[in-house]
Formats: sequence, C-alpha cells, structure tokens
Amino acid sequence: MDELLQEFISETQETLEALAGEVVAWEADPTDRDRLDAIFRFFHTVKGSCGFLNLPRFERLSHAAEDVLAEIRADKRIADPATVSAVLGIMDRIAELAEAVAIGAALPHENDDYLIAALTEKEAAAPEESEAPTAPVAVARTSGGQAAPRTIRLPLSLIDQLMNGVSDMVLARNELSRKLRERSGDPELESAFERLSTCVADMRDAISKTRMQRVDRLFTAIPRMVRDLGRDLGKRIDLTLEGGDVEMDREMVEMVVDPLTHIVRNSIDHGIETPEKRRALGKPETGRLKLEARQSGNQIVIEISDDGQGIDTRRLVDKAIAAGRMTPEAAARMSEAEKLDLIFHPGLSTASEVTAISGRGVGMDVVRANVERIGGVIALDNRPGCGLTIMLRVPLTLTIIPGLIVRAGGLHFAIPRSAVVEILHDNNETLRIAEVGGAKIATIRSIRHSMIDLEEVLGMERIAQPGPRAIMVVRSATGVPFAMGVSAVENHEELVIRPASPLVMATGVYAGMTLPDNGKPMLLLDAAGLANAARLPNIIDDQAARRAEETQEAQGGVEMVSALRFEEYSGERRLLKLSLIERVEDIDARLFGRSGGHGFVRLDGRLVPVANGHHDFAGEKVAALRLRDGAREACYPVAAVLDIVDMPAVPDMVAMHGLLSGVAVIDGEHLEVINPFALFAALPDAPIVERTGGRCLLADSEDGWTREILAPLLRQAGHEVVMGLPGDAAVDPQDVVLFTGSEASEASELLGCRVVHLRATPRPNGPQDSSIYRYDQDALMAALSGSRR
Amino acid sequence: MNQLYLFATLAGTRVAVEAREVEAVVKLTDISPVPGMGAHVAGLSALRSRVLTIIDVAALVRGRPTPAEQRGFAIIADISGHSYGLMVDAVYDICQVPEGELPLRGQLDPVWSPYARGLVEHEGQPYLLVSLSGFIEAGAMAQAA
Repeated sequence: MDELLQEFISETQETLEALAGEVVAWEADPTDRDRLDAIFRFFHTVKGSCGFLNLPRFERLSHAAEDVLAEIRADKRIADPATVSAVLGIMDRIAELAEAVAIGAALPHENDDYLIAALTEKEAAAPEESEAPTAPVAVARTSGGQAAPRTIRLPLSLIDQLMNGVSDMVLARNELSRKLRERSGDPELESAFERLSTCVADMRDAISKTRMQRVDRLFTAIPRMVRDLGRDLGKRIDLTLEGGDVEMDREMVEMVVDPLTHIVRNSIDHGIETPEKRRALGKPETGRLKLEARQSGNQIVIEISDDGQGIDTRRLVDKAIAAGRMTPEAAARMSEAEKLDLIFHPGLSTASEVTAISGRGVGMDVVRANVERIGGVIALDNRPGCGLTIMLRVPLTLTIIPGLIVRAGGLHFAIPRSAVVEILHDNNETLRIAEVGGAKIATIRSIRHSMIDLEEVLGMERIAQPGPRAIMVVRSATGVPFAMGVSAVENHEELVIRPASPLVMATGVYAGMTLPDNGKPMLLLDAAGLANAARLPNIIDDQAARRAEETQEAQGGVEMVSALRFEEYSGERRLLKLSLIERVEDIDARLFGRSGGHGFVRLDGRLVPVANGHHDFAGEKVAALRLRDGAREACYPVAAVLDIVDMPAVPDMVAMHGLLSGVAVIDGEHLEVINPFALFAALPDAPIVERTGGRCLLADSEDGWTREILAPLLRQAGHEVVMGLPGDAAVDPQDVVLFTGSEASEASELLGCRVVHLRATPRPNGPQDSSIYRYDQDALMAALSGSRR
Repeated sequence: MNQLYLFATLAGTRVAVEAREVEAVVKLTDISPVPGMGAHVAGLSALRSRVLTIIDVAALVRGRPTPAEQRGFAIIADISGHSYGLMVDAVYDICQVPEGELPLRGQLDPVWSPYARGLVEHEGQPYLLVSLSGFIEAGAMAQAA
C-alpha cells in the first residue's frame, strides 16, 4: 500500500478514537468552542487529505459533516442530540472505511446518502425535539486538557526489540564491569566506563517508560459507549472519569479493556434504573456512573461505581437453587459475601431477561477469569438498592518495582517491597513462634499471624543455617497479613518485572519474573498466592489486636523500667532504677571523707552522705551516681558505669534483704537490684556536720520561671526548696524567701526571715531597689549564703 | 509440500518438528529451578535478555525427569508470546521432506498419542511429527491436574 495512504489511515483511526469522547463531551456542553473546533478540524483534515489521495467517499462524508459543523460554529444551528448522533454516525462510517482500506478489503457498499441525509434532515426536525434539551450523557473528566504532546507512531515490535537490546546491553555492561574489576584499575578507563554505565542506565529507564500508557486510553471508548447504551435503554447517565493520568503497562491496558467494558455495560443495563423508576424510588433521574483509576503500591486500582439498584443476592440464590447448583439448606447457611460471590458463577445473572446489551454470553465469571488471568483481583461492594462498586486491582507487571531479594532453600526470590510490612529475625524477643497440629503461629507483639515457611510452601528442602532465619510479615493487596520464614533477606533492588509463562503463573505463587544483573532469572513471589497455596485461613486476628492493649495493662507485672547497670567496687554488677539517678559525675577522691560512722562527700560546699559507705579510693577521680529521693540526696560511688538496660519493675526474684530488693536477669546475666527504699532509709537522718542552711521558700510558686528555672537551680546548688509560703507559719529564721513579684515582700518580712527579691530586668528600677536580677547567679548565691550568717 | 523439518530425539524417540515452529536450538547452561512446579518444568534459563521457561519433555511424556547432568540441548520456541525451551536429547538435522506429513500407522505408545500428529519419513526412517505448542498445552494441563 502507498505509504502516504497508510499514514493517512492510521492517523485518521487514531484521531477518531480520541475524538469519540470529545464529541460526547461537546454534546453535553454545546457551547464548548474548543471541542467543536477540534471536531471540525478533524473533518476538515480528512476532507483535505482525501482530496489528493483520491478517496471520494471519505471526501463526501467529511464534507457533509464539515458543512453542518460550520453552521453550528456560525450559530446558525444548534447541536441537538440528533445532530450529534448523525455526526457520530459519519465518524463511524469513516472508521469503517479506514479499516477497510487498511486491510485492503473492498469498501463496504452501504448507502452513505442515508447518513448524510440524517445530518441535513434533522434541521427540520430539530425544533420538535427541543423538549429534550439535555444530553443523555454528561461527561466530567477531572484530568487532562486537550493539548496533546507531540507524538509519533512506532510499531510495538520495534519497542520490544529496543527493550531487549537495552537489556542485553546492561548484561554486557555487567560482564565488562566484572572483567574490569579483575584487571588493575586504570582511573581513566574506569571513569569512561562509569560514564557508559550511567548512559546505559538512563536509557534503560527511558525505554521502560515507553511501555507505560496513560489509563486515559482505557477510558477513551467509555463515554461513547455510555452515551449509546443510555440512548438505547432510555436511561440518563452522568459519567465521571477520574485518574486518567495514571500510567500502567500497555499490555495491561489491553488486558483490562474487555473486563472494564463489560462491567460498564452491566452497570448501565442492570444497575442503573430507568428515569421513571428512579423517580419513584426518590433518586435523581440521572444515574451516576464513576470510573476511577489510581495507583496503589504496585497495583492499579480501577473502581467502577454506580448508584443503581445493586445486586439482589436473594434473587441470585433463588436462581442458583433453580439451576440446581445448590440446595436451599446450603443457601441458608451462606453468608452475604458468599451469596454475592455467586455472581461470578457461570450462567447466573440477576437480569430477569437477557437484553440485547448483555445477552452476549459473557458473564461476570468471564470478567473475573480475565482479571485473574493477569494476576488481578476483583472485589464487589454491594449496596442493595443504592448501588454497586466493583474494584479491579491489577498488577503493574512488566514495570519496575522496588523489591526485596530473599533466599530460601538455596534459591533467590524477589518479593514486592510494598507487600512486606516488617522483617524480624527469629531470635527477636518480640516474636514468639508456636506450633500446634502442624500449624505455625507467630505472635509478634501480641498479634498472632499465621506463619508459613517459604521452603515448605514451595516444596523445597529447608537448608540448615548457622544464623537466625528472617521472618517477614507479608501483606497482600486483599488478604490478611501473615508471617513468612525465609533463610535470609539479602538485598533491596529495583526490579524489572516481566510476566512469567502461563505454565509458571499457573502455580499461583509467582507474580512474574525478573532477570537481575547476574543473568540468573529470578521469580517474583505473589503474596496473596502464597497465602492461598498454603491455604491460610483468611481471618483477621482483630481480636488479638483488640486484646493487645488489655494484655499490656494486665501485664503491668512485667512492665519494664530503665535501669543503670554498674559495677561495684566489690566487683558485683548491680542495677539501679534510672529515674532515681540525677546524674553521674566524676568526683575528686579527696572530697570523700568519713565522720561519725558515715561516709560523706563535700559537694558544692555541702556534705552529701555516701550511700554505700565507701570513702577511701585509690584513683584521683571517683565515678559517682548522684541520687535524690525528692528531698534528700546521696552519692553512690561505683567502680564503673556500664550501660542502661530495661529491667522488670519487679525483679525476677524478690529477696528483700539489706540494700538489695532482688535479682533481675538481663541478657542472661543475674544482676542484683538496689532497693532505693533501703538505700535512702540507711542514710543518716540528720544532716551531717554542717547544716546546709535554711530552706528556700519560693513565694511565687505559680510562676513558670520560678518553678522551671529557679527551683531546679536552687536544688542543684543543694538548697532545700519549698514551693509557696508554708501556711502553718513554720518558718525557720534561717529560711530565705525568694519572690519575683512585689506583693509578697511585706508578708514575708513579717515572717521574720530574710527576703530576696528577684527582678526580671537587668537594671535596678531605682536607687532604693535592692532586688537582684534573676539571671545574676553569683549575686543570687551570695544573697542566699549571706542570709545564712 | 516441500516442508522443512527439524529432526531430533526426544525422550528416546525420533521426532520431527516443523521448522517454522523452531526459533533456535541452544545448548543448555544454567537453569534456575522453579520450586512448586511439576517435574515437567525444569526451570528458567536466560538467553541473553530473554528468559526461557525450560520444559523437560521427557518428564512430560514419560513422567521421568531428565537428570541434571544429561541436559543437553533445547529447542527455543515462541508460543503465544512467551519464550520456551524444550529439552531434547539430541538434534540431527534440518531437512526438506518432499512428501511431507504422513498419517500415523501402527500401534502408538499411549504416552505419545497426545503429542503425535503424524509421521515424517527421512532417510528411510520414520519420525513422529510433534507440535511444540502441544507440549506446552499438555504442560498446562498437567499443572491443572
């Protein structure tokens, strides 16, 4: 065939496909000049091209359509449904002719005059039909303008060839890289190779993108179909298409077209009621049909929802019984979901009579089979009387997905990263694996999962290994998470997934295969398929999840607390609750002393009791824990501070004697736990030698600064801090009252003790102002100690 | 009827395959096993950037898998869009046979009856004419069973 002619035909066919939706949209909104112009341009182009290609029938048809459209453009005529139908009729005829020319068949000799007459005839009939000004279909497309990027057409085989070529190139590069590594490194050569590598990688990315196609293409035929069906059946449908810009594999698009078409057809035929019936039911006359595509992990979800009558499960069951598929008793035992599932059985339909639209011998059973064949899943959400939502989940095969490489039985497998929730080693403390009657149950943080070993499901030998096995929590798109044991999780990689041959796919446990850089083919595991193959119960253990919290509370006995692990001078390792320890510091050994049978240490000008009685040290510095029970403090010299661990709040072995409250087992080591009660009780009651001075009474205990900044500062300096003025007036003359406001000053002076007034500004308010700037620590400390004299 | 045939031995039997079904014949190298499959699927093998599903025809026909060390050659074929490699014992020749396909005669071993379509005579020897896609279909059936 003439190359020019061929080009014309394929271009026409493509434009026609894209325009079908536009015409319907234009009908819904005849004022849309852009769409009208696009359609007009199409006919104009066809007319112009066929002039010199000598295709008279094309020319006549397009000429007639162009004339009518020109009149509409000039506002001499309105675009009523009849005109639109006639224009669509012409477009269909042009498509038929193009098809005939493309395959070199004889042009079908049908009467074009009839079609052309339909265009012009309606001019007279138009006023009569004006009572139905609304278009049968309103199309709302939430995405996508009309401006298409520049494109060219390529044969698919060429793209496949390119793809294979690039894959070969990657393999060659890898081999080269291995060879280069074996030889000595020449930086120049390496940098050149690096550049080549990057180019190859970029190219591979670009080529794999050529396989992707916008879901829009899947949607192109829908508006037209909905319009035609709606007209035939006398139903009004408001169609919404969403997510057309989602990309999916070209082959997938082709696989999904048929099931999708069928579902839409069903929805209009059986789902959405006639306007009269809808009015009677109190629904809006116009039915709503919504198609939505979105990407969810490594799957494309296509949702088709309508607000029709839904599926009458009772009728389905009646039909199944009538057809002798099951007994009424069995039907009575079925759950609603199982009843709904009957729609997928061959030969069962809720339609009381076979109509011209749906009586094509294709049922939902075929739809499901088609979807499942491409590794997809179909799910129904039936709202009887209110509508039906059908969800198709199809994988993005032949695309690049992030995957984990796992090893099992000496082989490598890939699993989509998105299917893996969690990976643990089987020696993890939060994991417990129990076995009963051959079933394995993994309890991870008190949630029970069914557990399988990959080797077992695939019928491989489990190879003994020195290290721990990896347990993955796997969740498929539909199923319930389960735990899967593998030898190891080795790597994380971007994988180019290709479909495996039907033979391999038939096992149901593989979703595809991939050829990694090492040239050894690897299979991609299908999480849902594995669960099916292992016949795992599909029950969510939500009870366990709900109970998890309760158990947590009930298990208060084994509540864990942080503890410091340290070594005593005597060499024992002991634990002390971390919350008691204010800090750990190195103290000069000379500061330690002994008085009246008690050890003490001089810190910040005060004497602090030493809890364990040590006072004589070899080194210059002594590591010491500074403890505080809220009021009193103590120092606890240790040989070494080891680390912080979690210990049970109640020791594993309770033994109340002396300083110890029991023994806790941490990481297999028996450690004595210091009893803080005994520790503080053993301290000398009276302050040692030097009375540390009076209390600091903080008058403004409500003030944030006083509470959060001043109080800790004073405590750290060793002062006893009392919040607020004591109500019982038990004020010692040695006490100091600190306040920031002014009101309290007289009152505290009445108490007969020293008062320190703190101010917020650096400068004094006047010559009489004896207050101290509150961040002047030296002055503050001096004032406090001065008060003691 | 000047048909071109590939002559090979397969599971100990002389067979002929129509040459247009055959894409290439390669010596088998690494085969990655596919666990969970019947013995008739020997595994996957990479041929440059293509991944072949290797069918152990002997296992399919006789139910006896070929030991790994006896794996020799595979006939590469593209069947309904997927690449397969069918393991054969040996490959002899590609020849034109003027008289073409002859009807089956004699009592055929029942294991061969699902695959044999006819006879092809070459150098005075009869060869069973088999179809490669027949093996793949049978493999799928074996899977389903």
